[in-house]
Amino acid sequence: MIRAQGLTKSYGDRVAVNGIDFTVEPGRVTGFLGPNGAGKSTTMRMILGLDAPSSGSVTVNGHRHVTSPAPLREIGALLEAHAIHPGRSARDHLRWMAASNGIPTTRVGEVLEQVGLDTVAGQRAGRFSLGMGQRLGIASALIGDPPVVILDEPVNGLDPEGIRWVRELARGLADEGRTVFVSSHLMSEMALMADHLIVIGRGTILADCSMHQFMADHAAAHVRVRAPQSTDVEALLVNHGLEVNRTGDELRVQGLDAPAIGELVGTHGLLLHELTLVQSSLEDAFMALTADSVEYHAKASDEMKAKR
Amino acid sequence: MSTITAHELRGTARRVGFGDVLRAEWSKLWSVRSTWWTLAALVVLGAGLTTALCWGNADWLASGDADESPGSFITVGMTISQVCALVLGVLVVTSEYGSGMIRTTLAATPGRGRVIFAKSVVVAAVLMIAGTLTALLGYVGGNWFLDREGIGLSLEGDVLRAMYGSGLFLAGLGVLGVAVGFLVRHTAAAISVLLAQLFVVETLVMLIPGSFGDWVAKVMPGNAGLQVASPVSFIPDMFDPWVAFAVFLAEVAALWTTAWWLLEKRDA
Repeated sequence: MIRAQGLTKSYGDRVAVNGIDFTVEPGRVTGFLGPNGAGKSTTMRMILGLDAPSSGSVTVNGHRHVTSPAPLREIGALLEAHAIHPGRSARDHLRWMAASNGIPTTRVGEVLEQVGLDTVAGQRAGRFSLGMGQRLGIASALIGDPPVVILDEPVNGLDPEGIRWVRELARGLADEGRTVFVSSHLMSEMALMADHLIVIGRGTILADCSMHQFMADHAAAHVRVRAPQSTDVEALLVNHGLEVNRTGDELRVQGLDAPAIGELVGTHGLLLHELTLVQSSLEDAFMALTADSVEYHAKASDEMKAKR
Repeated sequence: MSTITAHELRGTARRVGFGDVLRAEWSKLWSVRSTWWTLAALVVLGAGLTTALCWGNADWLASGDADESPGSFITVGMTISQVCALVLGVLVVTSEYGSGMIRTTLAATPGRGRVIFAKSVVVAAVLMIAGTLTALLGYVGGNWFLDREGIGLSLEGDVLRAMYGSGLFLAGLGVLGVAVGFLVRHTAAAISVLLAQLFVVETLVMLIPGSFGDWVAKVMPGNAGLQVASPVSFIPDMFDPWVAFAVFLAEVAALWTTAWWLLEKRDA
């Protein structure tokens, strides 16, 4: 479990993370979503004790990371891609990590196999593709078999097969009861991976809810209805208290799901030609939610240009 | 399956100790090629330069008009080995900043004092051995030519002290490299700063006139550190070898403490 309370980080005048509170629970994948520059990586660095909060606190399993008796057994992290010496082999990289936390060397072979790098373990990491680098980063995160795993932008640079692999891995780790915290700026990726969502924009939490709840709240949906006697149908639906908008011969209905609308129209002896649930994508919902913070960045950079 | 291993591991988890951090740094040091190259250069160039300069100067040193002592030449190759020692100390730190790996290191060992201390111990130990070995090889090679001119030195007294003194000097320089690496966090910048100090600043201060100038030249870390590595100093009027080494160590310690303090304080 990860818990942040009033967590704040400012760099000079710029507030990167502004007094955020959140809890990342075990047993599920929690997505940490926000546009680039929203404060995701800063927050993750504070979790790991790499950056000191300006105020507030963040704890892992109830205590600050700095005080952990065996840090890698407590929390594993994939940081930005290729935080690895290019001249060192994958195996040697994992070996020093294991040594640093008194982890048996046998774990090195296990995690190499788990991420599918066992055949290239002796190669220098500098020769790895972006995808292989990500896999090595994930192996580093898992070396201590930690109950908490954080992955910063794990699907960056991965091919579709790699993306699917990360998704299944994250799900698998959560199913084993671990706390899994995954950041991304891609809503579409989160929609497939996360059970729970924390959305951050401009250093503040914009949403903290289940994926299901987020979709219900933010992904506006309507039912498209076409009918030969569309005026009668419209009148009927309006009489039943539904919100109906007409565009040409198409009716957009909100307030009832498609099967219920079909039954309602059918019991009144009217015909339907089309009955379709139209849901705006989560990407759209995310864009709408974070529009302010993105605009802020664009404006801020314009101001900076003007100052020059 | 993995759930069970997770609990097993956590069940047997013990508090991480300094020995673990030391083993990790030892493993890091030997798993990159730059270490092997730097150490090979240190030994070969250092011993080679001593041998070459003794060969070239032996007959002059044996003649009546020599104004230098053979004792100044027997460890002269350390002037090039010291560059390698600095580079090794710097690289152990800045290669991690260059690749971003320092974040992995500090997340694995949040006690940052342990990280800088372990790096320093590993670098100092390796350079102590490499420096002493280089001095001995240079002695064997150089003294062969001095012997031929009848001015050979026996391996005792100040000459013997200069052998392990060379190890101590390079160990100190390695730690200096580690400290500057953590202060500057950039390979090229750290090496430039150190080489400028050693080869430009320390030469220029000799131009400062009067006793103040003499004193400044004496306390410069390169000048002070080198005394213990040489039976007879090229530069006259230096501190006694062990006094000079104490001055050098104090300077390294001051910089190292600043580096530690900043490492604890700064965001990684």
